[in-house]
Parts: sequence; C-alpha cells; structure tokens
Amino acid sequence: MALIEIEHLDKIYNTTAVPVKALNDVTLQFERGEFTSVVGPSGSGKTTFLNMVGGLDRPTKGKIVIDGTNLAELKGSKLVEFRLHHIGFVFQAFNLIPVFTALENVEFIMLLQGISKEERQKRAIELLEAVGLGDRIHSRPGQLSGGQQQRVAVARALASKPEFVLADEPTANLDSKSAEDLLTLMEELNREYQTTFIFSTHDPRVIKRARRIVTLCDGKVEKDETV
Amino acid sequence: MLLALAWKNIWRNKNRSLIVVLAIAFGLWGGLFSGGLMVSMGESMVNSAIDRDLAHIQIHNPRYDENNDIKQFIPDPEKVFAVLKKEPDILAFSARTRFLGMASSATSSYPVHITGIDPEQEKKVTTLSEKIIEGDYFVTEHGISIVIGKKLAKRLKLRLHSKMVLGFEGLNGDLINIACRVVGIYKTESSMFDEMNVFLNQKYLFDVLDTQPIYHEIAIRSPNAEVVAALTLKLKKQFPALKVESWKERAPEIAFISDLMIQYTYLFLVFILFAVLFGITNTMLMSVIDRIRELGMLIAIGMKRVKIFSMILLETLLLSFTGGLLGIILGMGTIAIFSHVGINLSVFEASLESFGSSSILYPVLPAEMYVILTILIVATANIAALMPAWKAIRLEPAKAIRSY
Repeated sequence: MALIEIEHLDKIYNTTAVPVKALNDVTLQFERGEFTSVVGPSGSGKTTFLNMVGGLDRPTKGKIVIDGTNLAELKGSKLVEFRLHHIGFVFQAFNLIPVFTALENVEFIMLLQGISKEERQKRAIELLEAVGLGDRIHSRPGQLSGGQQQRVAVARALASKPEFVLADEPTANLDSKSAEDLLTLMEELNREYQTTFIFSTHDPRVIKRARRIVTLCDGKVEKDETV
Repeated sequence: MLLALAWKNIWRNKNRSLIVVLAIAFGLWGGLFSGGLMVSMGESMVNSAIDRDLAHIQIHNPRYDENNDIKQFIPDPEKVFAVLKKEPDILAFSARTRFLGMASSATSSYPVHITGIDPEQEKKVTTLSEKIIEGDYFVTEHGISIVIGKKLAKRLKLRLHSKMVLGFEGLNGDLINIACRVVGIYKTESSMFDEMNVFLNQKYLFDVLDTQPIYHEIAIRSPNAEVVAALTLKLKKQFPALKVESWKERAPEIAFISDLMIQYTYLFLVFILFAVLFGITNTMLMSVIDRIRELGMLIAIGMKRVKIFSMILLETLLLSFTGGLLGIILGMGTIAIFSHVGINLSVFEASLESFGSSSILYPVLPAEMYVILTILIVATANIAALMPAWKAIRLEPAKAIRSY
C-alpha cells in the first residue's frame, strides 16, 4: 500500500463571483522514501495540493488516504493530532517562533507530542547538528540567516518523526548557495532516514534534484515523471 | 515551555505591553490608596464613636429609647454591676445617668443630653478625659462642675469658668434648673456630639434629684473587639428584661457607613478593572493580529486549538498579573507608609467632623481585600482574553500561514 493515496481530488473556491477550480480530478500515489517535486506555474494549484495533502484544507471532492487513514474521517482536534504525528511542514517563509531559540523551536513540536524534556532536548540537538547548526542552537531566528532559519525549519519538521515532509516552495526566499545547501541536506536526510519529501516549487534548481516530478497545470496533473 | 512562550510573547512589543501593565498598576494603585482612605475614614468614624461615647456594648431600660425619659432608668443596677464585674471579657464599664434637658447661657439655649458620670469609671471606658482642650476633667471644683463641648460653648457663647443653667424634668415631673460652672471644654472628632452632650459628676445629679443613684445607661468596654458579638449575646441572655446592644446595634448608621466604605472600595476597584479590561483586550487583540501567520503555523504543525486558547489566556493572565502585582505592591506600600505617618486632612476638618471622622486618617485595607482583588484580576484577565483567544482559535491555518 502506498504511503499517500489521492483519488479524484477536486477543490473549488467559491470566494469570488465565479467559482475557481483549483484542483481538478487529481489522482496520485506517493511511496515511502520519495523525493518528489510538485511543479507548475503560479496558480496551477501546487499550494492548494499541498494544503489538501497536509490536512490544512478540505477537498471539495475526492479522497486522501495517508498510511491507511482517510483524512476526511478526521475532524477537529483529531486532524490536528494526526498532523502532529504524521506530517512535517516546511514553509516558504520559515515560520519559526521568533522569541524561541533554534533549540526551543525544534523542541516545541515534541513538547506538543508530550515527549519528556530530556528526550526532546537530546533529539533537538541531534537534529540541529544533522542540519549543520550544532553551534547555533541557542541563536534566535533573528540572529540566523535565511538559509539557517530554513534548516531549523527542516529540523523542526523532522523532530516529530513524521511519515513525510511537505515543503511549500522551501527555497523561494533563499539565495542560490543557501538553496543548494538546503537541497543537499534534504537529499541526505531522505537517503539516510528514508524520509519522504514532497515539495512544491518552480525553482529549476529544486526540480533538477527531484527524483519524481509531478507537473500541475490549471489544477490538473499534466505530467508525472520519474527521473 | 508554554509558560515561557507566553511570557516571551507578551514582551515582543515592550512598549505596548508596558503601557497596559502601567495602566493596570496605576489604576489599582490609585484604587487601593483611595480605598484605604475611605476604609480608614469608616474605621475612624467607628473607633471615634466607640472611644467617644458608644463603647462596645450598652445596656438600657427597654423603654428608655422611647423619649430618653429620666424615669426610665435601669432597675436594680447593683445586680447588673455584680454580673459585669465577674465577666472576664469586660475591661471596664461606666454607669451613666442620662436624660434630655436644656442648656442655657445668658444669651441662648440649646437642647442637650445631660450625662452624669463617675469621672474615674468613665475614664476607663471612653476617651472624654483626653479630649479636654480647655480647663480640666473634673479636677477643679466650682460648685456644680460641668464639662461641655467646644461647639456648644461657641453656640451659647460660653467660656471656661462661665456659668450656665441646665433645665430638666425631675423624677416627680417638676422642672428643675441648676446652675453649673464650666470647668472643662472638650473637642471630639464629631462636632455634632460636642454640641449636644454635657457631662457632670453624677453625684450632683443624685443630690439635685434627691434620689438614690439611678442609671440610664451602662457603657461596657471589652479588651477585645472580636468578642463583642459573643459577649453581647451572653449578656442578652443574662439580662432578658434589659436592652443589651452591641455598638453596631446601638449605632447602626455608623456600622453601615463603615461597611459602605468597604463596599465602595470594591465597587471602585471593579470599575477600574472594568476600564482596564478594554485596554487588555485591545492589546491582546493586536498581539494576535500581529501573529496570525505564526498562530496559523502552530495550528498547522499540530498545536491543538485548546492549547492556542490556553496560550492566549496565559499571556493575558501574565500581562494582567504583572500590572496587578505592581499595582498591589505600590498600593500596599503606600498604605503601609501612610498607615504609620497618617494623612493630615485638616483642610477638610469641618466636613470630616460633621461625619464624626478624625481629620488625620491612617489608610488601611482589610487583608481579604487583596485576596478578592487578586481573584478580580484573574476574572478580568479571563474575560479580556476571550475575544483575542476566540479570534486565534478560529484561524484557518492554510489562510493564516499565507497572510502578509
């Protein structure tokens, strides 16, 4: 059984006078350990797609099953709980807690999971070392560069030991060097820990590194190719 | 960690939080201090009345209060004295001969309460002897000596050693007039009392009335104000044929005003907290709006909405408590200082005297008021947190993350 099974997914936004079909009959499967890029031009539905898979938004039609769990069956706090234990998120704007240090940012998600202080500190340090920030664990986001902040975000995404990590345009706010370094890191984590990464992007550097590329256009899967 | 996050969050915008903290602190400081003044005024009225004349408990003939008639004296007073002398909770008592009469000088007359006292016994129960501002307290004897209040002396144009006439109805209904010499002029905290009460050594009255000692009022002083209620009840049972009243029953208006001062202080504090509630709500609402993306991220990564709600509540509580604690410390400190040195309000002496309050006030607040105030701050913070917390938990993570 695939890690993520998506069947006939539709998402229609009725916020404007004319309904907008952001996703149109999307059917896809993702296996464990994939390193997949969802690409397409602006407005193609990449972010909407990631929001649906991440359980941040509800589809209008269709089904998303993650590791045997149908997301539609999870309501309210159960869905939040599911995200906490099964899905890691990396956002375009890093979205770290500015008043926390790098260590505390990574620890926080484990606190939400109810992990003991000793264990979460140990794991947070390990992860920050793994992303190359072992010497900056007590720095606050404001004291880190964009690339370093995104590395903390990756460490935070992995701290909860998720089934997969969703990254929405993770390199959009990074310079070339930081973007390359981040991709190398994500590749290493993918290889080493078999962590599944699905990221949306229109950055050619990211697309070049992906092993599977799903191309969306006007909400439809235009191409699904394994490199 | 959630507590640490909440604490750090409220200091993200230092100026904004500091303004609210100071608004709460100064509001409560002012509220507590003015409350302390009001309560001390109430206490001053109570203590002054007790020390001046009321004492802790009074015993009368049940019919005495109908018209303060001279014939309504306490029957068989010796039996009452015998019981009172044996009671351990009684420090001293003063048996008074008291009735209505008319005080006259060469120029004017005024109705007064004529009180015959045993000066030495009275000294143990009230502070009349300490309130003499001219002359002395029944030391100099000039015929029938009388001690009158300053206000009455002014009204009747009397001075020390002046002669005055007291007119009253005798036991047999005859009108009696006696000439007295003013040996002392007193001034208490109540100008009304000073105008309406004259004191004589009761031995003169017994001679004039040609009677065995008669007493209309027994004023009792207890060493411990806490036992007054129980002692009153006990004496009521022992003297069912007499009217035994605690000071609260005898002068309910004074007890009421004292209680009213405390109630007013509570009301005042509630109004202050109600006003700052809007300030706290506004600050927290702005804080939530500033962090929409971050809150969306927290919901997205798996922070339950109930925890988000708790975090906003905790932030509001911490913000309110910081201000509240500062206000309480400032209030307590100011009250502690002025409760020792006092606040001289002699500018308002005439007004305060008409209420029977001292013009030097020593602010004080009952300890339970601080406890109740703390509960009120918590309640205010909870109410203030509702709208911002509600806004935070209603965020849709997908939209919130992409906001500005």
